[in-house]
Amino acid sequence: MKTTIVTILILLIRTVMYAQVSPEIELGAKGVMSGNFNIDNTNTSSAVSDFSDSQLLLGFKQKLYSNWRGQMVFGLQFPDADSNLGQVFFNHIFLKIENQKNIIKIGRSTTQTILNEFPTLRDDDAMQFNYSLNPFSGGMNTQDNQYGNVIEYTHIFKQRYHLTVHGENFVNLSEPNNFKLNSFGTSFLYIVPESQIWNRNILQRIGFSYNNYVIDNFSDLLKNILGTVTLNLKPDPVHFIDLKLQTIYNVGFTGINDINNYSNYVRTPSFSSFGTVRYLYRKYERPLIQASLGFGYKSFSLANDSKQILGIFNVFYRLGENFDIGFQYRYTQNNGQVENLFGRQEQRFQIAFVYSVNQLFNSQFDDRNSILNLEHNYIK
Amino acid sequence: MNRRNFMKYGAMSAAGIVLFPVDLFADKTKTENKKHFPQPLSFTKKDGWKEFEISVNFLEHEFAPAMTIHTLAFNKSVPGPEIRVKEGDKVRVIFKNNTELNHTIHWHGIYVPWRMDGVPYVTQMPVMPGKEFVYEFIAEPYGTHFYHCHWGTLLHMQSGMYGSIIIEKDEDPIKKIFPYDREYTLIYSAHDVNFLRNELNSMLERMKERSFLMKNGRFSPERFNLFDTKEELEKAIENGYQPPYLVNRRSSAELPVPNWFTVNGKSYPSTPNLYIKEGENIRVRLINAGTENHHLHLHGHDFWMVCDDGVPLPQPWQRNTVSLSPGKTYDIIIEGKNRGIWTFHDHDTRRVTNNGLYPGGNLLALIYEDLPKEERMVGNMKKMKQKNPNTKINILPKIALDE
Repeated sequence: MKTTIVTILILLIRTVMYAQVSPEIELGAKGVMSGNFNIDNTNTSSAVSDFSDSQLLLGFKQKLYSNWRGQMVFGLQFPDADSNLGQVFFNHIFLKIENQKNIIKIGRSTTQTILNEFPTLRDDDAMQFNYSLNPFSGGMNTQDNQYGNVIEYTHIFKQRYHLTVHGENFVNLSEPNNFKLNSFGTSFLYIVPESQIWNRNILQRIGFSYNNYVIDNFSDLLKNILGTVTLNLKPDPVHFIDLKLQTIYNVGFTGINDINNYSNYVRTPSFSSFGTVRYLYRKYERPLIQASLGFGYKSFSLANDSKQILGIFNVFYRLGENFDIGFQYRYTQNNGQVENLFGRQEQRFQIAFVYSVNQLFNSQFDDRNSILNLEHNYIK
Repeated sequence: MNRRNFMKYGAMSAAGIVLFPVDLFADKTKTENKKHFPQPLSFTKKDGWKEFEISVNFLEHEFAPAMTIHTLAFNKSVPGPEIRVKEGDKVRVIFKNNTELNHTIHWHGIYVPWRMDGVPYVTQMPVMPGKEFVYEFIAEPYGTHFYHCHWGTLLHMQSGMYGSIIIEKDEDPIKKIFPYDREYTLIYSAHDVNFLRNELNSMLERMKERSFLMKNGRFSPERFNLFDTKEELEKAIENGYQPPYLVNRRSSAELPVPNWFTVNGKSYPSTPNLYIKEGENIRVRLINAGTENHHLHLHGHDFWMVCDDGVPLPQPWQRNTVSLSPGKTYDIIIEGKNRGIWTFHDHDTRRVTNNGLYPGGNLLALIYEDLPKEERMVGNMKKMKQKNPNTKINILPKIALDE
C-alpha cells in the first residue's frame, strides 16, 4: 500500500515537472437568437423568443509523437425548451487523434446522420428531410438525431476522399441507460477543402452513406441509405452560387403501414429529399449577403396517402465580422397520416441575430486543409 | 541511463560550455559546413552586362533537425544565393515569380536607379504570379549589402526572401589593412513561425481571389485596397469601405513575436561554423535581414569592425560585441590569436533559443581547425581537469539540446 502511494506521488510530481507542452486552445461560440412567429392551419398564431442551437465549444489540441495530433473538445448547447434535455445539453465531449490521412474519434459528438451542411438558420430547421432519423428517439428533440456516443475511423485518400466507418450509441427513449452501440455504418465522400471551394468549376462535394440501426439484434436492422451532392453553379469569389442536394432512402420495415406514432414514422419505409440553392455575395473577401431557397419532399411507400413538403427561404446580412442579421420563412405541410403527428401545415417567420466566433489561442501548427499543406506539401 | 540523466550529468561536467555536433575537425564536416553559407550565383555575360537569374518558389525548409516550415525562397534556398560582382559592373537580374503571391526585389544599400528600387506601387508594379521583372543597375557602392522582397515585407522577409549582394573592388581596402584569404557571410533573421503560417495561408487565399478577378478584368480599388489618392481613400471610407488595418476587418492587433532565430536560414545545432587557423585573419560579413536587434559577441577575442553598411571605416574599431540592428551590415575581421573553439552568439540570449528553449537560435562557433588533437573538445575527458568518475563518460557529448 505504502509503495503504491509513493509511486502515485512520484507519478504526480513527474507529471507536474514535465507538463511543459502547452496546447492550442480553440474557443468556438455561436449565438442564435430569433423572434419566431408561427401560424398553423387553424390560424392559431404564437410568438416566441428562441435561443436554441446556441452553443459553446472549447477545444484543446497538441502534437503527439510520430506526427499525430490529439484533440479534446467540450461543447454545450442550449436546446429547445420542450426538449426534455434540461437547460443545457452537452453535445460534444470527445477525444480525437489524427494525422494527415487518418482520423479516430471517440466520445459524444455529431453523428453521421447528415452528409452536407445546408444554409438554414438552425441546423435542425429541415431535420425531417435532411437527417437520417434516430429510430430509438421519441421525437421530442432534435439532438437525439444529431448527437450520439460515437466511435469513428476516417481514412483520407488524396486529400479529398473520405472513407469513414462508424458506430454509435444513439439515445434510446425506452432504454435510456443502455449505452451499447446501436448503430453502425460507413460513408464515402469526396469533399473539396473549404479554402478551395469557390474556384472549383462544378463538383464541390459528392458521397453516400449506409447506416444501420440495430433495433433488437443484428438480424433486425433498420437501414438508411444517404446520398448527397453539392454543385458550384457559379464558381466565383464575389457572386457565388451553389446547389446542395441530399436524399435519404429509409429501407424501413415491411408491415408498418400506419404512421400513427413517432416510432412508426421513423421505421416505415420512406424517401426524402432536400435541396437548396444558395447565393453568396462576398464583399472585400468576406461574406456580406447570403440568400438561399430550399425545398424538401418526403414520401412513404407503405402509406401512399402520406407525404411531407417543406419550403424554406432565408437571407442574411453581415453587420460586422462574425455577426449577422437574418430573416427566415419556413412552410411545412403534412398530408395523410403524418398530419396527425405534426399538424397539417405551419408557417414560421423568424428574424434573427447570429453571432459565431472561432478563436485559436497559442497557435502552433497548421490544419490539414490549409492551402500551404494542400498545395505546398504537408508538414507533419 | 536515459537521455535526460545523461544530459544532466553531461551538463554538470561541461557546465557553461556549449557543445557542437559531430566531429568539428573532420573533412566531411568542413565540406558540409560550406553548404551553410550563401552559395554564389553564377551569371552569363551579355552585351557587357552580368546577367543573373533569380526565381522565387515555395519551399519546405528545415531550421533545425525535425523543425520544418513553409518558406518563400529565392532559387530554392534560404537565404537566397549570393550575388558577387565588381564595383562598376553592369548588373542585370531577371526575376521570375513562381508563386501565387506578389513580389519585388529591393536592393538594400545599392545606388540603383529609382525605378529599380523594388518598392511596389512606388517604383514599380508588383511582380505578379508567373510574371518576370528585369532589374538593371550599376554595381555601386563597394561593400556588403543585401536584397530582399519588398512586397508584404514583414511577412516575406521573415519567410526567407533575402540574400547577400557583395560588391568588390580589385584592390580591396580592407585587405590592405588586414590581409585575409577566407571570408564568410552570415545573414541573421528572426521568425515568428505561427505568424508566418497563418499569414501565408491568409495571403494565399486573398491572392487566389484577386488573381482570378484580375484575369477577368474585375479590378476594383476597394477590393484590392489600392487607391490613387488619399482623397479617394477617404471618400471610399465615407461610403462604407473598411481599411484592412481596422480591428473590425482583418487586423490581428498583434505584431509577430519571433520564436526562431537563424543564421543563414539555420538555427543551432544546424548553424554554420567559422573556421580559422592560428595567425590567420578572416573577414566576416554580418547582415541583419530580420526584425530583431542582435548583440553579437565573440568569446576569447576582440575583433575589428572594418565596415559599416558596406562603407570602410576610416579607423577600424576593436571590440568583442557588436549590435546588429535590422537592415544593418557590418564587416568584421577576426584575428586567429587564441586557439580553441569559441562561441559567437547573440548576447541577448533570448535569441539563442529554439521555440523558447536554450540552446538554439543563432549560436555558432569559431573553430581553430589546426587545434592540436589533445586540446580538442571531443577528446579524452581524463586529460581534462573536469572529472566525473561516477558517470563513466569518457568523452563530452557531441550535441546538447537541454541545459
